[in-house]
Amino acid sequence: MAIYKTAINKPITTALIFVAVIVFGVFSFSKLPIDQFPKMDIPYVSIMTTYPGANGSEIETNVTKVLENSLNSVDGLKEITSQSKDNMSIITLQLNWGSNIDESVNDVRSAIDMAINNLPDGCSRPMIFKLSTSMIPVLQYAITANESYPGLDKILEDNVVNVLKRIEGIGNISLSGAPERYIYIDLDQNKLDAYNLSVEQVGQAVGANNLNLASGSVKMGKEQYQLRVQSEYVESSEINDIVVANRGGKSVFVKDLATVRDSLRDITIDEKINGRNGVRLVIMKQTGANTVQITRDVHKAMVEIEKTLPPDIKFQIIYDGGENIQNSINGLSEAVMFAFLFVILIVLVFLGKWRAMFIIILSIPISLVTAFAYLSIVDSSLNIISLCSLTIAIGLVVDDAIVVLENITRHIERGASPREASIYGTNEVWVSIIATTMVIVAVFLPLTMLGGQAGIFFKEMGWIVTICIIISALVAIALTPMLSSIMLKTKKVIINAKGEIEEVSTRSGFYERTAMKWLAALDKWYAGRLHWCLNHKLITSIAAFVIMILGFLPVIMGGLGVNFMAEQDNGQLTATIELQRGTRVEETMKAARAIEADFFKIAPEIELISSSTGTSDDAGFSSLMSKANNNTISMTIRFPNKSKRERTVFQIAEDLRTYLKDRADVINYSVSTGGMMGGQQSNVAVEVYGYDFEATNRLTEELKHKIADVEGARNITVSREEDRAELQINFDKEKLARSGMTSAQVSMAIRSRVNGFAAGFLKEDGDEYDIVVRLKEEFRNSITDIEEMTLQAPTGALIKVKELATVQEFWSPPTIEHKRRQRVVTISVSPSGVSLLELANSIKAVVKETEIPQGVLINVGGTYEDQMEMSRDMGTLMMLIILLVYIVMASQFESFAKPFIIILGSIPFAFAGAFVALYITGTDLEMVGMLGLILLVGIVVKNGIVLVDYINLMRDRGYELNEAIALSGESRLRPVLMTALTAILGMVPMALSTAEGSEMWVPLGIVVIGGLTFATIVTLVVVPVLYAAMSRHGERDKEAELRKTFIFFDQTLSEEDRKEIEKV
Amino acid sequence: MKAVMIVFSQAHTERVEYMFSRLAIKGFTFWENVQGEGSKTGEPHRGTHTWPDMNSSVLTVIEDDKVQDLLIAVRKLDNRNKEAGIRAFVWNVEQTV
Repeated sequence: MAIYKTAINKPITTALIFVAVIVFGVFSFSKLPIDQFPKMDIPYVSIMTTYPGANGSEIETNVTKVLENSLNSVDGLKEITSQSKDNMSIITLQLNWGSNIDESVNDVRSAIDMAINNLPDGCSRPMIFKLSTSMIPVLQYAITANESYPGLDKILEDNVVNVLKRIEGIGNISLSGAPERYIYIDLDQNKLDAYNLSVEQVGQAVGANNLNLASGSVKMGKEQYQLRVQSEYVESSEINDIVVANRGGKSVFVKDLATVRDSLRDITIDEKINGRNGVRLVIMKQTGANTVQITRDVHKAMVEIEKTLPPDIKFQIIYDGGENIQNSINGLSEAVMFAFLFVILIVLVFLGKWRAMFIIILSIPISLVTAFAYLSIVDSSLNIISLCSLTIAIGLVVDDAIVVLENITRHIERGASPREASIYGTNEVWVSIIATTMVIVAVFLPLTMLGGQAGIFFKEMGWIVTICIIISALVAIALTPMLSSIMLKTKKVIINAKGEIEEVSTRSGFYERTAMKWLAALDKWYAGRLHWCLNHKLITSIAAFVIMILGFLPVIMGGLGVNFMAEQDNGQLTATIELQRGTRVEETMKAARAIEADFFKIAPEIELISSSTGTSDDAGFSSLMSKANNNTISMTIRFPNKSKRERTVFQIAEDLRTYLKDRADVINYSVSTGGMMGGQQSNVAVEVYGYDFEATNRLTEELKHKIADVEGARNITVSREEDRAELQINFDKEKLARSGMTSAQVSMAIRSRVNGFAAGFLKEDGDEYDIVVRLKEEFRNSITDIEEMTLQAPTGALIKVKELATVQEFWSPPTIEHKRRQRVVTISVSPSGVSLLELANSIKAVVKETEIPQGVLINVGGTYEDQMEMSRDMGTLMMLIILLVYIVMASQFESFAKPFIIILGSIPFAFAGAFVALYITGTDLEMVGMLGLILLVGIVVKNGIVLVDYINLMRDRGYELNEAIALSGESRLRPVLMTALTAILGMVPMALSTAEGSEMWVPLGIVVIGGLTFATIVTLVVVPVLYAAMSRHGERDKEAELRKTFIFFDQTLSEEDRKEIEKV
Repeated sequence: MKAVMIVFSQAHTERVEYMFSRLAIKGFTFWENVQGEGSKTGEPHRGTHTWPDMNSSVLTVIEDDKVQDLLIAVRKLDNRNKEAGIRAFVWNVEQTV
């Protein structure tokens, strides 16, 4: 028995099955986390190897190359890049998106094991880092203080960090730029020399007097005591009175040699918030934790924490990942709700019956909640992609129910009882419902097979829409007939006074007078126009062709930009400013203050500037991540919400760039507008491959200058650092040996004098503060000072540095970068005001006219390359989809030719419309826009099927060709308009959305609205005309062929036969 | 008015339909899958393993002057393929509502 018959016969079972589906879906919904994007592994693995004492090029040949050759065989490897700098080699493997990172890490490990014997002695074991989402901060606070600033570190550590760590899901919390308490003992080199003492001796004396030691136990009578020597410093001033040595019977105290400062650590990094002393609190989450929940919890906790802190400490948010996500999701949820409302309105206008509307609308929530069930099963989240998919689905899932209900209503109007009408009505259309569902599935299922980063996004979308649409088909052939059989009413008839049967019109009133009348008029008008077109096929075809060409004009003329993903205005800018190499951090700070002040003038919208100058540590783990130096300033600039300001961050960024360009002390700068996911911005990268430093440097410089003149080229940065100024101390090995010292000893000694000798800790309230012994600054800030430093030989003799070595200024070689195992310099350029494709083309032109020396290779890549790859993938996908759709249509029509009517008659027009819409709104074609194009194929083909199927039916029923077409047109106009309008209006909230992050999905809305509006109008004319043009010839042949087949009719009967018959 | 009942092998279905359309006979009642055996010639049409063929039959009520044409057409069809088999029977129609 057919499914719809069972459903109608067992209404309770049917209803309850769907109730169960809803309950399951709602339950899943309540458990879904909120996130920005579907879960994905960031496919990068880094390998860090240290080889102390080797310079960049030694590291390159002995470590990097050896490892690269071995690592090149890792499965799923997309690109291998490396940096070889002094003492360190960092290799980064980019793997294919979606590949299993754990497996790859295992591969990497065995590749390293194979190469490890070929690495030089003294080289550390390579360390493998897996980049994970937990390394990306979810929340950043700027904390400013006045009086409390010196003690801020301890206050925050005790009252904020420790409290926040208790919140579930929080990973690491770090304070950046917090002032640290240090006790400095600044020695005077001359006094040391006078007393014949060395830095180490002072340090050892200070350390040796700072002890608490257990010294056994003492038994006294019946009791036993622990003995302790208690000699730790209680206060830093005690250090002044420590005796270092005896000279001439007199004690030499620390205070005789040095000044003791209980102070803050000398500045190497400087954090300022709006120019005031401040600290940045960076909060990261554990992998897989719910960002939105965490930020919400942190905000709540912060309110409580602020009450316990001194009143001069102020918190400001620099970055709130949770808020960004929440805003995007809220914006999209709004779009979903509006889409739902619009669809209800459309259905109501076209059907005018509450009961019918209810039956149809019911298919929306049922289909959509299954999407939640899917998301929950695959462990995904409510994110931009899944919500976009739902918006798309809303416009599609009502169609099947509409077709069924419309047909049932027709049967009821012809007098069948609701029960019979539901059975016959469904029986008539269920095959074509399956076919149209198959078309949508054919469009969306291939999306799940796409690779790369886009593949991760589209996979979810493909599955969600596919699942929703299949469920909606099930609803249409089970629930809709069941509800129709119960809820719809037959026409009322009465026997009137004359004893005749009379129909009582139940449908009179407002709706009949307005919408019904207009729709009927529209049907008539359309039928009239269609007749005209069918009689003027040539004119219509030419007109349609011209319109299509006009639509494609923006693309042909190159007026349509192509981008990977729209940049988002999330109210944040980051600026990296580089001053002259070797600028000391104090000078850089001065420049930073001046720049900040000017920024506030240029952009009064600025809410907050958090700038950090210098590096936090000389060689810490962070150097792996950033390239900060004493001469670099990095600023995070925060703006109020998009709705509260007139200029976009892109415009402001442009102004700031112009300002920085004119500043004389700024050597290099880049102002980037935040972008998505760790700020990866779209760029064109010109990669210059070549072994010779000279040649590649010269070429790079030339290209950089030429590119600077290209229109729309911004943020031009060169990856190879310029040579860095260094002071080298070259020891004479022979003299060194004669004095009884080794290189290691002298380098340690010099480090103690300049950087400091660690002499233990001052303990206070459970915290330890470093005590550092070193030379006073005036004794270590010139080449002569270094030469005048006194070292102590093992014999106890004191020797000046200049006796053993020469100090020279020197340019250190740059970091050597590799890509695909070759030396490379990358010039990266980001577009501003032009699309990525345009920029790439003009840069390619520049490269072409530049003379390239031998042995140097140039490749134009960057995100531009990814984009081209994606476009190719999309193109292949489109072909695959059209082929699949063709298969579905050809089997539906049982004809090879008829699908072409639809493919030629609607798809080009849909694309033309989409391009025109993009062109008018000045939007670039992006990844989501391309997705929109694919989606368009589905919807317009569906509409085409509805029309052509009905024309076929009418032809089979014996109507003359033109008549059949006009009749179908008139009858199918409403369903076609309804499907198109539900899809169009479903997208309107998306296209008009101005929520944060809306840049991402607006193109999708624009493409679908433009394409579908255009395609629907044209399709309603072109498809019938094409049908007529293609059928005319074939139909005449058909009649002749029929005559030929049934030739028996034309025989002449024999006389005998004739007589026998005439006998009667 | 006469009623003509035509019983034919299913192989003839399309030809019978064509015949009706050529003769512009609109009204008919059609039974699919009926069994039967000819009185004189032809194989049984029983839908069994032994005799797998089946018949269909059509009953049409037409004006007297059309009966001749129909019967001629039936004979023509029979001539085309004796093996398949087609027979027509004519009744008088007493009354219609």
